[in-house]
Amino acid sequence: MSQPSVASNNGFSRRRFMAGTVSAAAAPLLASTAQAEAPVIPQTKLRQPVVTSLRINEQPYELSLDTRTSLLDALRDHAGLTGTKKGCDHGQCGACTVLVDGKRVLSCLSFAVMNDGKDITTVEGLASSDGKLHPMQQAFIDQDAFQCGYCTPGQILSAIGCVNEGHAESENDIREYMSGNICRCAAYPNIVAAILQARDETKGA
Amino acid sequence: MDAAAPRPKENMGEPLPRVDARLKVTGQAHYPADLPTANIAYGALATSSIAKGKVTKLRLDDVRAVPGLLDIVTYGDMDKVDKPKFGNSGATSIGPLHDRRIFHDGQIVALAVAETFEAAEEAARLIRAEYEEEKPTATFDSPGTATIPAAGKSPLFKEDVKAGDFDAAYADAAVKIDQRYSTPTQHHNPIELFSTTAFWEGDQLTVHEPSQNVTGWKVELARQLKIDPAKVRIVSPFIGGAFGSKGPMTPRTAIVAVAAKRLGRPVRCVTSRMQAFGTQTYRAETRHRIRIGAGKDGRISAFAHEGWEVTSRPDAYVVGGTSATGRMYDYGSVLTHVSLVQTDRNTPGYMRSPPETPYVYALENAMDEMAVALGMDPVEFRRINEPKVEPIGKKPFSSRSLIQCYDQAAEAFGWADRDPKVGAMRDGDWLVGMGCATAIYPTAVAPCAARVRLTVDGDVRLQCGSHEIGTGVRTVAGQMASERLGVSIDKISVEMGDSSLPPAPVSGGSISTASVCSAVLMACDAIRTKLYAAATAEGGPLVGSHNEELELAGGKIVAKSGASAKVGDVLKAMQVGAIEEYAEFAPKNATPEALKKLYAGTPEFHGADQDEDSVKYAFGAEFVEVRINRFTREIRVPRIVGAFAAGRIMNTRTARSQLMGGMIWGIGQALHEATEVDRRYARYVNRDLQDYLVPVNADIKDLQVILVPEVDHAVNPAGAKGLGELGNVGTAAAVASAVYHATGKRIRDLPIRIEQLLV
Repeated sequence: MSQPSVASNNGFSRRRFMAGTVSAAAAPLLASTAQAEAPVIPQTKLRQPVVTSLRINEQPYELSLDTRTSLLDALRDHAGLTGTKKGCDHGQCGACTVLVDGKRVLSCLSFAVMNDGKDITTVEGLASSDGKLHPMQQAFIDQDAFQCGYCTPGQILSAIGCVNEGHAESENDIREYMSGNICRCAAYPNIVAAILQARDETKGA
Repeated sequence: MDAAAPRPKENMGEPLPRVDARLKVTGQAHYPADLPTANIAYGALATSSIAKGKVTKLRLDDVRAVPGLLDIVTYGDMDKVDKPKFGNSGATSIGPLHDRRIFHDGQIVALAVAETFEAAEEAARLIRAEYEEEKPTATFDSPGTATIPAAGKSPLFKEDVKAGDFDAAYADAAVKIDQRYSTPTQHHNPIELFSTTAFWEGDQLTVHEPSQNVTGWKVELARQLKIDPAKVRIVSPFIGGAFGSKGPMTPRTAIVAVAAKRLGRPVRCVTSRMQAFGTQTYRAETRHRIRIGAGKDGRISAFAHEGWEVTSRPDAYVVGGTSATGRMYDYGSVLTHVSLVQTDRNTPGYMRSPPETPYVYALENAMDEMAVALGMDPVEFRRINEPKVEPIGKKPFSSRSLIQCYDQAAEAFGWADRDPKVGAMRDGDWLVGMGCATAIYPTAVAPCAARVRLTVDGDVRLQCGSHEIGTGVRTVAGQMASERLGVSIDKISVEMGDSSLPPAPVSGGSISTASVCSAVLMACDAIRTKLYAAATAEGGPLVGSHNEELELAGGKIVAKSGASAKVGDVLKAMQVGAIEEYAEFAPKNATPEALKKLYAGTPEFHGADQDEDSVKYAFGAEFVEVRINRFTREIRVPRIVGAFAAGRIMNTRTARSQLMGGMIWGIGQALHEATEVDRRYARYVNRDLQDYLVPVNADIKDLQVILVPEVDHAVNPAGAKGLGELGNVGTAAAVASAVYHATGKRIRDLPIRIEQLLV
C-alpha cells in the first residue's frame, strides 16, 4: 500500500513519475486511458512554487507546489493519493480528514507548505504491508458503515482520531465527536457500531 | 448477528458484505475525479452574479495574465455544438454558452483552464461579466410568475387523476379538513463534488464523470457534439452519492469536452460546492392544498390534492406526486390538480423519491389532522381506509403489506403505551410526542442488458452498465449470479459504471435492483441451460437427468439422484474455456421498441400505475418519537422505527442500510434541509454545508428497520421491489405528527424549526 519514495531536484519529476506509475496501477477497465508522459510545467507558469517535504504514510515526498496548494490537493493531485476526498473544500464535511502527527486534521483547510516536515497518515497507509486491514477498516466493513463510500476514508481517519483522543468512551460521545464528518448516505448508526467494535483494538494499534 | 446484518426471513437473501467494501475502506475505490489521467489541465467555472438579463461584455485582460492559464472557453466557443436538451438524460435546455441570455443565478459564463487547480481558480475568479440586468422572479408569490397546468407537460405526468364526484361527496361529509402545506427548495448535496474529466484520443472521447445514466449521457453528449455515440465513452465506476443529482447530464460536460478538444489535452473540472447549487438540479419547492371528507365512522368519502411547483422558465420539470397520493387509500372520490409556477431559476430535477417526498408529506400530515378531527387513533384511521383496489382505475395492488408494516412497527415502537392526549407525555424538561405515517413508492422496472461469463476455473465475470451509487447493486447483482451459478461470491467480479458495457437504465426510480437482477438472472439461466444440455447429453456425466432435477451448487451440477459433475469438467468436455451469455431483459408489458430504446439511452419504465393487470407499489410504516425542550424548543428525534415490505429482499444488509439512510433523510426533510432563496435576487443564500443543514451523527440515536416478508411474482422476474427511495417517504409527516402530539402545534411548512414552536 505504501508509495515508493522519490526525491526530486526540480520538483517536477515527481509529478511525471506519478503520472506513469499511477496509470500503470489503474484498474484494467481503464487500460485505454491516455498515458502520455506529463510535460514539465515551465517554472514561469507557476506562481510562487515552493518545495515542500512531507512524510506520507511513512514515505518521504518532496513536492514542488504553489504556495496556495492545500494539503488535500497536494495529496490528491501531486502525490497521487486520491483516497483522501474533497467534499466541500471549506472544512465543513470532513471527507478530507487525515492524521497529521497523529491528530485528525481537515486537509482542505491546511496549506501543504504548513505541513513541511510533518507525518501524514492517509487511508492508503492504514492497512499493513501484508494486506491486513486496520481494525477500524475491518469494523467499517463488518458494520456496513458506508454506502457510496465517498466520505469513508475521512470517517475512518476521524474515527481513529476520535478513539485516540479518548472521545469514544460512550455512544453519545462518539456521535458528538464524529459529527464533523457528514455521511450523506446516512450510515451514522453503523458508523457508531463500527467505532465501538474497533475501539479497544485501535487503542493498541 | 449484528444489527447491520439482519437475519433473512422468508424471501430474503443473505446479508453478504458489499463486494466492493475493501476497496472503499482502503481508498482504492476510484471515483471519477480520482481516475489517474496523465498530463491533465484543470478547469474552473465562472458563473453569473445575476439571475435574469444578458451578458454584454466579459472582461478578461487580468485573467489572461494569470501564470499558467491555458484557455478560456466562453461565448462563441460552443457555436459548433448543439444546445442541451431537457429530458431524462439532460438537466436543462439552457445552453449557457450558446446564448448571452441569463436564465438564473449561477449560470455558467466561462470555463478557465490552467496548468494547476490554483491557477484555474484564480483565473475564474478574475473573470468579470458586465450585464444588462432585469428584475428576476424568485419563487411563489414573486412578481412575474406564470402558472400553467402540469398535466401533459412531461411524458411522466400525463394527467390529473380523479375518481367519482368529489364536490358532492365533500359537501356531504360529516367531518372535513381543508389545509395547506409546503416544502422548501432542497439540494441533493452528495458528498462527492460534481466533476467532469474529458480527453480525446483521436476522434474518441472519454469522459470521467459521476453518473447515474452512462448510456443516456453517451447518446446525449454525442448528439450535442454531433459525433457518433460509438465515439463517446462515459466512465463512472464509483459514484459518491447521487440521490438523483447525477441522473441527467448538465451543460458542463460538453463545455469541458470542447475545452479538452481545443487544448489537445485532458481537462478536469471539479465544480465547487457553492457552484453546484446553481449548475446542477434541485428539489423544487412545492405547495399543497388538501381537502379530506369522512363520515363519523372514519371512512373517507372525498379526497382532493392540489399541488403547485416551482420550475424554470424554459423547462417544465414536473414533481407531480398525485398519482401516488390519489391511490393511497380507499377514498371514495378523488380530485387532483397540479400546476407549474415558472420563475427565473435553474431547472429543478429528480431528488430521492421526487414526487412522493413532498406530496406524501402533505397527504400524511393531512391524514394525521383528520384522525385528530375524528378523535381516532391515526393507525386505526388508516386501517379503516385500507383499499381492496386502488380508487382511480379500480385495479388491484400486485401486493400491499401496509397493515402488516403498521402492526410490526407499532409493536416494536410501543405505540400501545402512547397517551393520545396532546402534551400528556413528558420527561423532565422535555415534551414527548409520538407520531406515525405511511411510506409508499411506485415499483417500476425497465429493460436492461447484462453479460455473464463462467470460466473453466469457476470464475465469473459479470458486466452491466448500471451504476454503484451506494445502493449495493454490484453486490446484489453478484449475489444473483452466485445463487444461479452455484459459485461463491468471491469468485465473481462485477463491472459497472461504463457506457462500453451492456446498457442498463438510469439508476433512478428505484428500478436498478429489479432491472439489473432480472437481466443477470436471464444470462445465468442461459449458461445453466448450456451446461445442463452438455451434462445430460449422450455420453455426458448426468445423462438421463432432466433439467428440473438439476441444480448448480459449489461449482458442481448436482442431480436429485445425488450424482454430480464438476462444472469445470463439463466445460472441458465441451472443449471450451468459458461460456458467455449476453442477455437482454424486457419487462412483460414492454413495447416492440423497448430494447432499441434501451440502447438509445431512453429506456421505458413499466409497472407502478402503468400496467393493466394491477398497480405496483412498495409500502412501509414509520413511527417516531420527538422530544422538545420546554424552554428552548430544541427538537430531537431520539427514536425511529420503520417497517417495510418490498417483495424479494436481495440482501438484508444493503436493504436495511438503504432504508436506514432513507429514514435519516426523512428526519432531515422534517427538521433540517432547506435552500433559502433571496427573493430580491432569485439567488440561493446558504450554498454550502455549513448553512445547508443535513443530519449529522449527533442528530440520530435509536433507529430500527424491520423488513416485513412479502412475495410478489407480478412485479418482475427477480420479484424485487425497489427500496432506495421508500425509506424517506412519510418520515417528515410522522415527525410533524409527533410534534403536534407533544405541543399541540400543527406545523404544515417544512422544515420544522425551533422558531415555529416558539410562537
